[in-house]
This record gives sequence, C-alpha cells and structure tokens, in this order.
Amino acid sequence: MKLFILLFTISLSAFSQQSQNTISGKVVDNLGQPILGATVSLPSNTKVALTDANGLYELRNISEGTFVVTTSYMGFASQSKEVSFNKDGAKTVVLNFNLSEDVKSLDQVLVQGKSEKAKIETSGFAVDVVKLEEASLRNIQTNELLNTTVGVKIRQNGGLGSETNYSLNGLSGNAVRIFIDGIPIATYGSSFSLNSIPTSMIENIEVYKGVVPGHLADDALGGAINIILNKDAKTNLNASVSYGSFNTLQASVNGLYRFDDSGFTVKGSLFHNSSDNDYEVSGRSVVVTGLGGTQTPITAKRFNDAYRSTGGMAQVGFTDVKWADQFFVGVTGSDDYKEVQHGAFMTITPYKDRFLESDALLANLTYQKKNLFTKGLDVNVNGAYGKRNRVVNDTVAWAYSWNGERAVDFRGEEYQYIWGSQQEGGPTLATIKRKVASIRSGVSYEINEHHKFLGNHVYSGTDREDSDELKSVLENAFVGTRDLRKNIYSLSYELTALDKRLKASVFGKHYQQKTISNDPSIAQDSEGNDIIVDEIVESNNTNNGYGFASSYAITSNVILLASAEKAIRLPDETEVFGNDGDNVVANSSIKPEQSENFNLGFRFGRFNINKHGFTISTNVFTRNIKDRIGLPIETSLNIDDELIVYVNQGSGTSKGIDAQVNYSYDNNFGLNFNVSRFDLQIESNGVEVEVPNTPFFTMNGGLRYSFENLLQKESRLNLFYNIYFTDEFSYLPSQGTNTVGDEFFAIPQQLSQDIGISYAFPNKKLVASFDVKNIFDEALFDNLSVQKPGRAFYLKLNYSINKF
Amino acid sequence: MKIISLNMKKIALLAMSIGLFAACSSDDDTNVDDTSEEVSDSRWITVAAARMGEDPGDGNGGTLIYAVSTEDARNPDVTIAPFDNGFIAQSNRTARLQSSEDGTTIFNISYGGDTGGNFVRYTVEGGQNFVQSGSEINIAPYVGTAPRWVKLFDGDQTGAAVYVDNENEFDEDGNYLRTEATMGIVVLDLQNSEIKDFQEHSVTLSPEEEAEGYYISRIDMPALNAAGTKLYIGARLSKLDPATTESESDYEVLGSKTIVVDYPSLQNPTVITSTVGHGDTNGYRSINAFEYNGSVYQANQNDPEGSHILKIDANNQYDDSYDFNLDAALGVQGAYILAWRPAGNGKAVVAYRHNGSAEGVAGAQGFFALVDLNAKTGQTINEIPYDPDFYLFQYQGYVVQGSDIYLTQAAVGQNGNIYVVDTETGEVTKGAELVNATGSHFIGVF
Repeated sequence: MKLFILLFTISLSAFSQQSQNTISGKVVDNLGQPILGATVSLPSNTKVALTDANGLYELRNISEGTFVVTTSYMGFASQSKEVSFNKDGAKTVVLNFNLSEDVKSLDQVLVQGKSEKAKIETSGFAVDVVKLEEASLRNIQTNELLNTTVGVKIRQNGGLGSETNYSLNGLSGNAVRIFIDGIPIATYGSSFSLNSIPTSMIENIEVYKGVVPGHLADDALGGAINIILNKDAKTNLNASVSYGSFNTLQASVNGLYRFDDSGFTVKGSLFHNSSDNDYEVSGRSVVVTGLGGTQTPITAKRFNDAYRSTGGMAQVGFTDVKWADQFFVGVTGSDDYKEVQHGAFMTITPYKDRFLESDALLANLTYQKKNLFTKGLDVNVNGAYGKRNRVVNDTVAWAYSWNGERAVDFRGEEYQYIWGSQQEGGPTLATIKRKVASIRSGVSYEINEHHKFLGNHVYSGTDREDSDELKSVLENAFVGTRDLRKNIYSLSYELTALDKRLKASVFGKHYQQKTISNDPSIAQDSEGNDIIVDEIVESNNTNNGYGFASSYAITSNVILLASAEKAIRLPDETEVFGNDGDNVVANSSIKPEQSENFNLGFRFGRFNINKHGFTISTNVFTRNIKDRIGLPIETSLNIDDELIVYVNQGSGTSKGIDAQVNYSYDNNFGLNFNVSRFDLQIESNGVEVEVPNTPFFTMNGGLRYSFENLLQKESRLNLFYNIYFTDEFSYLPSQGTNTVGDEFFAIPQQLSQDIGISYAFPNKKLVASFDVKNIFDEALFDNLSVQKPGRAFYLKLNYSINKF
Repeated sequence: MKIISLNMKKIALLAMSIGLFAACSSDDDTNVDDTSEEVSDSRWITVAAARMGEDPGDGNGGTLIYAVSTEDARNPDVTIAPFDNGFIAQSNRTARLQSSEDGTTIFNISYGGDTGGNFVRYTVEGGQNFVQSGSEINIAPYVGTAPRWVKLFDGDQTGAAVYVDNENEFDEDGNYLRTEATMGIVVLDLQNSEIKDFQEHSVTLSPEEEAEGYYISRIDMPALNAAGTKLYIGARLSKLDPATTESESDYEVLGSKTIVVDYPSLQNPTVITSTVGHGDTNGYRSINAFEYNGSVYQANQNDPEGSHILKIDANNQYDDSYDFNLDAALGVQGAYILAWRPAGNGKAVVAYRHNGSAEGVAGAQGFFALVDLNAKTGQTINEIPYDPDFYLFQYQGYVVQGSDIYLTQAAVGQNGNIYVVDTETGEVTKGAELVNATGSHFIGVF
C-alpha cells in the first residue's frame, strides 16, 4: 500500500509543472487499437514523445510557430500533421493519428502482434508472451522456444519426443500447470503435447510465473503455461515440412475456410513428426562389456529411441457472426510411439524394444463472444471430452549392448536378464485407459473502462482403468484405480485508474477436488458366496487462494509491475491414496502444498530513438512453499512394511531474478538477451538445504539480421544466431570446501550455439529455412549423464496462402 | 581452515612414518608378526560419512570417506572432517562400502544412478587420497543397478551380490498356485576386478507356505561357511492373499529362513528354517552374518519377539538349541539389530534400536551393545553418549583389530567421536572427534 502512495505522489509531482503550449493526442491503428511506443516528434527531433499503452502522448513546452508533427511506428506508414501556435499564450492542441499498416513490411504481423504481447506483458503479472510467427517458419520446436524464455527451464531426457520436465523460476514438476487454450494438457496425454503439436498450430504461448490470473485458474503452485492455438478467422492455408539430422521429419498442414456470407467456418490441422533420434553418445556408461566383465568405452548411436507422432484437429462452426465470435465443435485425435533407450540415467544396460504408445481421441467445443446481450459482457467456453490410452511395452529379456547388438556376459555368451525385461521390474504390457473431461468457462463484464469483473470455472476429471495383458485374470481383477475430479472457481476484479496508468486485478480462487480410490476386494454375498466388490473411498479437499497483479506506468515507458498470490497445489490421487501395487497407502489427512509467490518487476520501454528501439524488463521473485508433499525417508520402521504414506514434510523457498533486453535497429537487426538466476532451498525437520540437480543460472541470446531484396526483389533473407548458456550444477548437494570426487556428479557448464537462415520468396507464399543446431557439437545435458543431440542440420519449407 | 591445515600436517607426518615403516619392514617381519596381537599395529581407519540429501538423515547427499591412522583414530585430540575434506565415493545413493581386512583397500559398488552396479577398488593412501586401482566392472546386468552385495570373509578374494525376481504362477483355471522366486548370484574376484560366476535358480518354500502366499521377496548378505563349501543368503519373506494376489501386511511371521547354496559352484539351493527366530535375515546395508568358531552367526530383523542372533552349524542347518534373544539379553522390548560385528573372541558390538527408542529426526534412536555369543548375554554400552537423533539405520562399518572394535558415533547433524570398544574388558575409549554437517551422519569405519 505504501508503495502505491509513493508512486501516486511521484506521479502527481511529475504532472504539476506548468507548461507553455502543449500537443497531446492518441495514436491508434486502422482497427482503432491504441499503439504502444509510437514515436511522436517535432522536426529534427527537437521534441519527442512516445505513446503509452493506451496510445496517448503529450508534447509540452512548445514555443510559438508552425510545426510538422510526425508519428511513426514500426510496420506502419508514418504520418505527419501541421500545427501552429501564436503568441496568445499557452494553448493545448489535440492531434490524433490513425496509422495504417505498411503493407510492404514483411514484419507487419510481427509488429502488430507485439503490441498485443506488450499489452499482456504490462498487465501486472510476471508473464512472458512467446510469439510463434517467426519460429514457426524455422526448424524450431515449441519446447526449444520455451526453453529460451526467461525464467523457464526445460529438461528433456534425450531428443525429440523424449520425456520433458518444465521449471518456472525453480518450481517444477506438478507445480507447473500446462494448458492448451485453458484446458489442462494432461487431458490430451502425451500424444498431443508440446513435443508433438506443430508450431504452426500455435498462435502464442503465455508463461505466467508464480501468479496465475483468474481466467487460467488451476492449482498451479509455481505458475502456468498456456498454449493458445490459432484463433484467426481468415481463410488461409499453411503447409510446412522439415527434414534433417537423425532422419527427423516434421510436417504439418493447417487450413481454415470461411464462407463470408454465413460465417460458416471449417478449420483443420494435421501433423506428423518422426525421428530416429540416433544421435551419437559417449561417456562413462557407454561401454561394451566382454569376458570377465571388462568394459570398453565406445561412441554409440542411440538405437532404441525413435519417435513418431501423428495427429490432427478438425472443427466446424461459425466465426464473427452475430451470436458468436467463435463457435466450433470438433475432434482432436493423436497417436504416438516412443522408444525408450534407457531409464532416468544412461546406464551400461541400454534398452532394446521397450516403447510407449499412447493415443487420444477427444471431442472439443469452443465458444467465444464479446459483448453478448449487452456491451461489455464477454463469454467464453472451452471444453474437451474423450479418452486417452497408454501402453508400456517391455517384453524382451535379451540383454543388449550400446553397440546395438546382443550383449555378451562375462563368459562371452549372449544372455537374458533375470528380471525378464529391459527395465528391472519384469515384462510388462501395462495399459492405462483414461476417460477424460475438462471444460473451462469464463464470463467477464466490463462496467466501464475502469471496472471489470470476471468469473471463471474449470472442471477436469479423469477416470482411470489399469490392466496388463501379461498378468493373470486374477491379478488384473484386483488392480485398484484412482480417479480425480477437480473444480476450480475464480472471481477477479480488474481496475483501470489514474488515466489508465494504474491497472490492477485482484482475484480469489476456490479449489475443490475429489479423489476416488477404487480397490476391488472379496466379500460374501447373502448366501455366503465369495463375490468381488469394489471398495470405494472418496476424499474431498477444498481450499482457497487469492492474489493480485498490478502495473503502474510511472511514465509511458517505465512501468512498475507487482503481483502476488497465495497459490495451492492439491494433493493428487496418488498422494492421497497411494499407488495400488506400491507400498504406499492412503493419507486422507494430507494437506495441499501452498506457496506464497511474489513478483516485482520493471519494464523500461519500448524506447525508440531514431531507428533504435529497445525494451528492458526485469523481475525479482520469491516463492515460499509450505507443506511440501513427499515420501518420508526409509527407516528401519518402514523399510519392510506396507505403511508408507505421502506426508507434508517441510517448506522451501525459491528466490531469484529474471531480466531481458530486446533491441532492434531499423527493422533489420534484432537482438535479444535474457538471464535467469535463482536459489532454491528446501527445509525439512528444521534443516535447510540447497536443492541439488537444479540448473539455477541460465542465459540465452539471439541475433537476427534481415536483408531485403538481396537476391530477388521483394524477397527477404533473415540470418539468425542463438546462444544458450547453462551454468554448472551438481547432482549432489553442495559439498565441503576441500572435498574431492565432486566432479563425478557435476553437470558441467554448457554453451551451445545455433545458426539459421530463412528466405522469403517474393511471392510471400514460400519461405525456406535452414538451421544448424549445436554448431560446435558440444556434449549437452539436461540431466546427469543423459546426453542430448549433437550438431544437427534441418531444412524446412513453408507454404501459405491467405486468399483463395 | 585450521582443521584442514592440521589434517594436512598429519597426513604428511603419517605419510612419512608409513614410508619409514615400509623401509624397515623387511628387517622387522618377525617382529611385526609377534606383536600382531597387540593393538599397536598401525593401519588405516577409513571413516564413512553420509551427507543429507533432502531430509535429515537420509544420507542421499553423497558418501564421503576419509582415512586416518589407528593412532589418530584413537586420539580424542584429533578432528576428522570428511564433509569438508573427504573423498566422495561414486554412488548416487548412500554407497555400500567394503574394505580389505587390513584396511588398505576400499571396495565400492555404486548404488543407483548412471553407474549403478559399477565396482571400483581404491587403494587407501590416507586423508582424502583414495587411488582407484584395477579396471572397472559392472554387475548391473546380473543383479540390477542397486546391487545388494558384500565381501566374503575369504582373505579379500571374493565379493558376492544377489537379486531375486518374483512372478506369480496360476493354474489353467486362473487360480493362484505360488509365487516364483528366481534368485541370481554373481561372484566377483575382488583382486583382479573380474566377474567369476553368475547362476540363477528358482527358490521354493514348502508347498504349504507357498499355497498360503508366502514367498521370498528380498535376499541379501551372502556369507561363507567355515569350510568354504556353502554360501548362506539372508532372505525376507512377504505374503500375498491367494484369493486376490494383493499384498498382505498383517500376517503370521514364519521362522527365519536362509538360502543355502553350494560354493563355489553356486548350485543346489535349499532353504533352511529356524524355529528359534522369526522374521527376516537379509539385514540392510551392513554384513549380517559372520563365521565364528566354526559356525555362522546371523542376526535377524523384524522378529516379533525382538531380534535374535541365530546360529548355523557346520552341518549347514540352524542350531535350534542356540537361543540368543536380544530382548532377553538387554532387557528391552522389540530389539532390532541394525548392524553388528563380532571380534575373534566371540564378543560382538551390536547396533540396535528397540520399542523404547526415542523418535528422532531420522527415525528411531539407536544404541550400541556389547554382546557375548557364547554366554548369550549383552549390555548396552553406556560410555557412548546417546541422543534422540542418534540414528544407526544406515550404519555399515566396524573395524576389528584384535579384540578391539572401532565404531563411529554422531547424532544427525551433531559432532561425535570414534569409539574403540575393547570387547575383552568392555573398556571403551573415546577417539578422534568427528565433525558433522547439517542433517548428516556417520555410517561407520572401514
């Protein structure tokens, strides 16, 4: 509160100076949307102002005379107006500008997008909006793009399609919720995921760190990532195909056709990805064993790591009609196959023919309408309902070696593992069938330009059924299942005040979750015969959270952002009831994990000086976690019994800073750089330790340079360079000052560089891109000893038509 | 820093004295043999410490070792700080260490992680200097990446690791028959870093026991008999409900069982059952069965009557006339042997907890007792200080030198000491101070 008073005082003092003549006004685009950061200047830049988020500007202390006032913004045609001041004393003239897009500029979409991006990024949340227009033309995967976003760290257990873990400001795993258009991504399963969805299907990705707005409410302890699929309602067709190293093929087609008379719209997307992921690896566990167990290190090609995913989405409905901005019903279907080369680590026993298959088929519904019934009332509904399945296939008992051949034992003979499968645990065809449903609905009402109320509800539910064809009928009959039903309600109030300099939203969230355990057991019927009955136990968990986000524009270019939330993560079905088959039993009194999350940030910019433009933003954060859920340590009391329960076992903190800089020159040159650093500690039984195995310091940089008309007229050539840095981190907690042997557990400092080139042909329909990743073939690791792909080359062709 | 420099000085002194000792040894050969009964023989005592991972006492944050001379180990003015100055053994979870009988070599098999199952030998050179010797081999292909292994008492020649795989069996109508337990035994040549043998066998219980759903679910702690002709393998039994195949938790605990196989052929597995003790014989992380005076003495765990030390005679059968119950010997309820070690005189140091143990930061409080295998008596060692956070579940190592047994004592996160127990007289000497780290503990000497 003190902060606001202080800011208020500062702003008042800034405005109390009296001036001579003043020119003020508003700069909007051809759709009437305000433009942020447009330059308004007098001749020879004697006076320059930039528009704020509402497109407003003011030029003060102007002496008498006649002036040409010019306004310009990247991607738009500049505009000039004349104004005169005589000696009659101080006067204020209002000059409004209506800029039209510069159609010659290829960057038009990008620039227009940026103003929308800037709007979200200055709303008060610690949020980054990742635009995909440019990336979707290149050989870049969604996960790679997210990984370069400030404060986000993605850790992947190998190449394309491999298991991925997302971390936001140090919080990871189930503390991070991922959505597709507000629907939890778990609804779709692994076959329709950030690994498989083509970048061309995605409009942008919002990354909310620590504080999640009401309209995306979920039990997200550390933040949320929302993937927004294309919402464009213009007829278009886009196709792309990319091919490169490790036999990697990625193809996608997206199309939309709108009958302009009726608004009837048909929309479809198809994608296919495949890769052998047969990149080279080496290291202490990549060996071939011989007589007596002797080991010979080799450089091996991964031989059981192929990935294949195919899927699509088809929707029919209406766009931009009286009763709906968007109304679609459709289906989403996907299927994937992923071979598994090793477990969590690369060991001397690589897997052969262990693979995962999953598929999903869901019906979906989308409805969006602004100003429904009355001005200011917006409604949106997004839902998915269907089923998804997953099978783990591991039935080969023969041991394989890193050279891809059958391994030999100490006697020199081929051999089978005693456990009869590749992964210890025995042969399996474990199948999980899930019925999934999720629906998110939101209503917002804008009373006037100052006050807005939003209500949101999301339901998600999973019914699960487990079986294993390799197990007996009896064993399958008594497998217990765990179901989950989650309802989250949120109510938000948004305030815009002080000349739109202050934007604030406060929100409350109500969490309600029911977990259901279903364990078949034997009982006697009335005649004393044994019958199988389902023992159903339900557990309800409700909780409340709240938060706020606010931004204050100290000047139009200096914005202070602050947000905080008391976030909750409800215990999942396993944490409440344990996993059937494990030694974990129910703990119905388990409490949700809680975290108090704070963000404080500044955003400077966008400043435009001549042809230079730059933005600097930074955020400092803390996350104070309580009641972390985990398994207790093994003791002599629990090692041999069946009584292990998940418990709330202490607290944790993550503190750090994110910063990023964007610079551009004259539409041709772009530079961006970001840095994230945090300190993650957990506390258990009064003892605090730094969490090991955490990449706590990362930096990413990118350069882009464009040549216009270099080879052909009306063509554009882009050159790209990217660099990624991850500081050394250790699998072990930090050791003493003088210990030796630490390097065994260290994941060394990593520096990786990519280059790329893209060429847009003069017809603007065809864009070709060539990318070289990890150009110096560095050994890269997200996890201890699990090597990621080395140098790789990819070529991509995109073809798009916007008019038929 | 002071501690470090002090230690560096000591290492240098020690290295010099060893050098002198080695230089003179050819003249003194007979002399050395004559005095070997005395405790004056200097050898390395390697202290093992387990750093906290996520929770106090979990020991998952690295296993650190540091070697000092016996003189230093016995000297209460010496400070040992493995967490600051130690060598980190290669293991993702707490390493399972073994040492040569003379303390000059440490054997380690990595437990879990990317190098799980990897066997490494280190020559002990004092302080943090452990020099890897011989080639690396890995037993993960035979017994998995988290091997349960120990060194056999055959002059440091052999290590043995075991694994059991379970699978339920059904008749044609789908009714439960039994649970198959497939046992794997791998034998290592510790001197030449070679895998010597691997054998797989089905292990059966009695038809009645199997029909009720009992099966061997975990095996560990192979021990050689006095004649060197049989290997005894400790076993844990579990039980499932034959009607549903679901695990049971509250069932009748059967008489303690041990699997006996021929050695060195590793053939002809049989199961022997004690009528004295009930519960498991697979121990946890430290050797659970020792040869003494022609018989093998084996501790059991999870015994409803409290742990027993059981006796397997030269005929490879349990001697059911030998009834050594720790509850009775110590006058406690629910004694549970966590780690133990006899000296050559039949007197042993036992780390245990019991029902009256305080609940400390990492579980039940531990105690040390001095027991007599012949007299079947025992006495808690009261000269060692006990703290509710003194925790011995992961305790692994004792050094036996003549009738002296060396051990480590330190509550979780607190400093402690090496203690030397003269098993003959019961005299307890407080030795070097052990400098602890937050949430961490010591897991023994080697």
